[in-house]
Amino acid sequence: MVVNRKGIERIKEIYQDRASRAQELKAGGKQVMGYLCIYPVLEMLTALDIVPFRILGQMSEPITKADACLPTIVCPFIRSTLDLGLKGKYDFMDGVVMAHVCDVGEKTSHIWRTYLNPPYYYFLDVPHTTHLAAQEQMKEQIKTLRQTLEDFTGKKITAAKLKQAIDLHNQQRALVRELYDLRKPDPPLISGAETLQTMVALMSIPVAEGNDLLKQVISEVKQRKNKLSKKPRLLIWGSIIDNVALVEMIESAGANVVMDDICVGSRAFFPAVAQTDDPLDGLAYRYLVELKCPRTFREATYGETKKDYIQDLESRFGYIKEYIRDWNVNGVILQAVRYCDIHGYEVPAVRDYLDHIGTPHIYLEHDYSEAALAPLRTRVQAFLELLG
Amino acid sequence: MMEQKKKKAINRLQTMYPLRANIDKMYERGVEASKTGKPTAWCMVNWWEADPILKAMDVEVVYPENYGAVCAAFGTAPAYLDRSDADGFPTHMCGYARNCIGYTSRMTELGQIPPEAPMGGMAKPFLLLCSGALCDARYKWFQALGRYLDAPVWTVEIPHIGVAESQDPATRAQVIKFMVKELGEFVKFMERMLNKKMDWDKLAEVTDDLIKVNRLWHEINELRKARPCPMHSRDFWSCMNASLYPAGDPKESLKLYQDMYTEVKDRVDKKIGAVANEKYRMLFAELPPWHDLKIFDELADRGWNFVVESWAYHPAKPIDTTKVSNPLERIAAETYHWLTGYFDEAYKAKEYMGYFAYPYLEWARTYQCDGGLLHPLLTCRTATNHLMLIQDRLLNKLKVPTLVAEGDIVDLKLFNHAETMRKAETLEEMMDHYKQKRRDEGLEW
Ligand code: SF4
Ligand code: SF4
Repeated sequence: MVVNRKGIERIKEIYQDRASRAQELKAGGKQVMGYLCIYPVLEMLTALDIVPFRILGQMSEPITKADACLPTIVCPFIRSTLDLGLKGKYDFMDGVVMAHVCDVGEKTSHIWRTYLNPPYYYFLDVPHTTHLAAQEQMKEQIKTLRQTLEDFTGKKITAAKLKQAIDLHNQQRALVRELYDLRKPDPPLISGAETLQTMVALMSIPVAEGNDLLKQVISEVKQRKNKLSKKPRLLIWGSIIDNVALVEMIESAGANVVMDDICVGSRAFFPAVAQTDDPLDGLAYRYLVELKCPRTFREATYGETKKDYIQDLESRFGYIKEYIRDWNVNGVILQAVRYCDIHGYEVPAVRDYLDHIGTPHIYLEHDYSEAALAPLRTRVQAFLELLG
Repeated sequence: MMEQKKKKAINRLQTMYPLRANIDKMYERGVEASKTGKPTAWCMVNWWEADPILKAMDVEVVYPENYGAVCAAFGTAPAYLDRSDADGFPTHMCGYARNCIGYTSRMTELGQIPPEAPMGGMAKPFLLLCSGALCDARYKWFQALGRYLDAPVWTVEIPHIGVAESQDPATRAQVIKFMVKELGEFVKFMERMLNKKMDWDKLAEVTDDLIKVNRLWHEINELRKARPCPMHSRDFWSCMNASLYPAGDPKESLKLYQDMYTEVKDRVDKKIGAVANEKYRMLFAELPPWHDLKIFDELADRGWNFVVESWAYHPAKPIDTTKVSNPLERIAAETYHWLTGYFDEAYKAKEYMGYFAYPYLEWARTYQCDGGLLHPLLTCRTATNHLMLIQDRLLNKLKVPTLVAEGDIVDLKLFNHAETMRKAETLEEMMDHYKQKRRDEGLEW
C-alpha cells in the first residue's frame, strides 16, 4: 500500500488501526517485535531492523478471554492487553520482549508465554532500585537481551549498528520534545488528544518512519490556521493512557491538556541515551535511572539515615515542577487506572508535593472504559471552575 | 447427665501451641525493646534476605503485613482503613498496607502508640525495610509512609528472573553477585544507622540457625505427603511465622519445630490423620480467610483434609550452602533458591510462572490432591494474580478441580461462608468425577 496521508492525518490513520503498518511491513518480510511498557530496550530491536511494536490495550473491546487466566481485580489495562493477545490480535508479532514493570505486568508476561508461547520471548527483569549494583544488573540483563535477539535473528548487533539505533531513537526523543514545545504557547498549537494520538502512532511504526512523520507533524502544527482557544492549562499525571477518550473528555470540559507525565507521552520519550564508551552503560542508565515511572524505588540521597519528606518529594517529583513552570500549567489532573498499585501508593505524595509548590490538583480513578468517564466529567468541570 | 463434648474435626498438633505462643510475643517484645531504647525496624516479609542481618545487629523487628492480620482479627482495622482513605490513599490498595498507613497516621498524630492498638501495637520504627519480592506494595507502602515518619527506607533487591531465563547458569551467578553487593551495601548502611560494626561471626551463626529452621520446617511439611496427612493447613498457618518472618529467637524456634517434627512423624508412623476420615486431600491458595478459619472445621467434618497450602509462606526446598563461607553469599543463594526452587521443573513442564503457580501443580501430584480451594483477595493482587491460571492448569493438566471463594484480607464481610459451603458440595461431586478421570488417564492418584 502506498502511504498517501501525511502529518496529523496519517497519525490519525495509524491511531485508528495501529497494527496495519506493522502488518504491512511484516508481509513485506520484516520482523515485528511486541514489547510491554517502556522498559524493553528498543535500540536493540532497531539495530536488528526489527519493528518495535508496543503492546497496548483496547478500551472499547470487552474483555472476554483474559478472565479465564487473570482475575478481574487486576489492572484492566493489562487484562486488556492479554485479552487481545489471547484473541490473536497480536499474532502478527514474531515475539515479545516483556519486562518486570510491576507485579501484575510481570505475572501477565509469564501467562503470555504460557498460553501464547511466541517464537521469541524475553523477560527483562528490571531491578527495583537505581543503586549502582542495580545499574550493573540492568546492564547484564540488556546484554542477555542482545544475545537472545542475536540468536533468534542469526544477525549480529555490531557497535556501529547499535550506535546508529541509539542516534535514531535519540533523534525521535528530541523531535518529541520539539513537538511538546508547541504546547508551551497559550493557547497551545496542538491539543492533548492529538499529542496522545501521535505518541500511540510512534509506538506502532519503525523509528525512522516515526521521525519523518514527526517532522511533518511539527511543521504542519507550526503553520496551523485554526488555533485552539485559551483555556485553563492542565498537566495530566499517572498510569497509562493509550486511548484519547479521557483526554478528550477533559479538553471538551473546557481545558487544554498541555503537558503529561504518563508512559505514552513524556515519560517514554523525554530521557535520551547518553553516548558512553560502552553503549550498554548509557542504555542501562537511561532505562533504569532516567525513566521516571514510580515502579522504581528512589531515595533523595543514597543510604540516607533520616528521611526529610520534602527533600524526598523534591527528588522524586522535582521534574514535575519544571514541567509546570515551562508549560505554564494551572492545574494537575492525577489519574490512575483502578487496581494500579504502583500509582495508587504515589497519589498522596504527589498531591503533597503539588500542595507544597502551590499547584491545584484533583485525582481521578477510572476503570479503563469509556462508559466510566461520564461521571468524572462533572468533577473535572468543578475543578476547572476552581481554576477560574 | 453431662452432654458429651463433640470431638473437634481437626486434630490439632499439641506442639503447635507453644510455637504459636512464641510467635505471638513478637509485638510485645518490640514495644518492650523500644522502651529500653532498643531500635525497632518495621519490616516487610523478605524471605530471609534481610532478617539475619537485622537479627545479627540486634534490631527488634515487627512485620506490619502480619500486624494487618492482627488488626483485622481484633476489629481495629476498619478505623485505620477509614483513616487511610481520608488521607487520600485509593481504597483498592492492599488492606494490610492501608491498615498500617491508618495506624501510622494516628500514631503520628497522637505522638504515641494508639491506645486501642491490639497486642501492644507496633513501636515507632527507626527503619523501614522494604523488599522487592513478589509484590509492589512491599516497597511502595513504606515509601508512602514518608509523610508520617522520618525513618529512612531501604529496599533489598531480589531479582525476578523468568523461568526460561533462569536456566542459564551464568544468570544465577550474576544474580547472586548482584544480591551480595546489595547486601554488602545494606550492612554498611546498618552500621551507619546503629553506629556499630557488624559481628560477622554472629551473622554466620544466625544465618545458619535460620537455614536449619527452614530445613526442619520443610521436612515437617514433607511428612504431610503421607496418607492420611498428619498435619492440617491450620497448623501450618499457626506456626509458619516462626519461619517466614522469622519471629523469635531462631534457636528456640528450632527446638519447637524439632518437637513438632517428632509429633508429626509419630502420627505418620501410627497412621493418624489430622482429619479423622480423610476423604479429600486438598490444597489451598493463597492467604487464608483468617477471620473464618472455622470453615476448615466444617470442611473437615466432610472429610476434607488440607494437606498443602500458601506457596509464598513455604520454606524453600533445601539446598546445601554449607560450603559457602561468605554469609552474605549464603543468604543470597538461599533467598534466590527460595524464589526459583521450582523453576527447573516448571521449565520442563512448559509452565512459565515458576513461583506461585507451578508449585501447586507439583504439589497436587506429590501430595496427591483431589481438589483445591482458591481464595482470591479483593485488595491483594499478589496472592490473587495466579489463581485463575492455577485453576486452569490443575484441571486441564492434572484433572484436579478447584473451588473459588472470594474474600479479602481485612474486609472480613467479603468472604461468604454459606456460599462457600454450598460450592463445596458441588466440588465434592467434581472431585469424585475427576478421581475416576485421573485413573482413566493413568495419573498415579
Ligand atoms: S497501569 Fe499500573 S498496574 Fe497497570 S501495567 Fe501500568 S503500572 Fe502496572
Ligand atoms: S502480598 Fe498482598 S497482603 Fe502482602 S503486602 Fe503485598 S498486597 Fe499486601
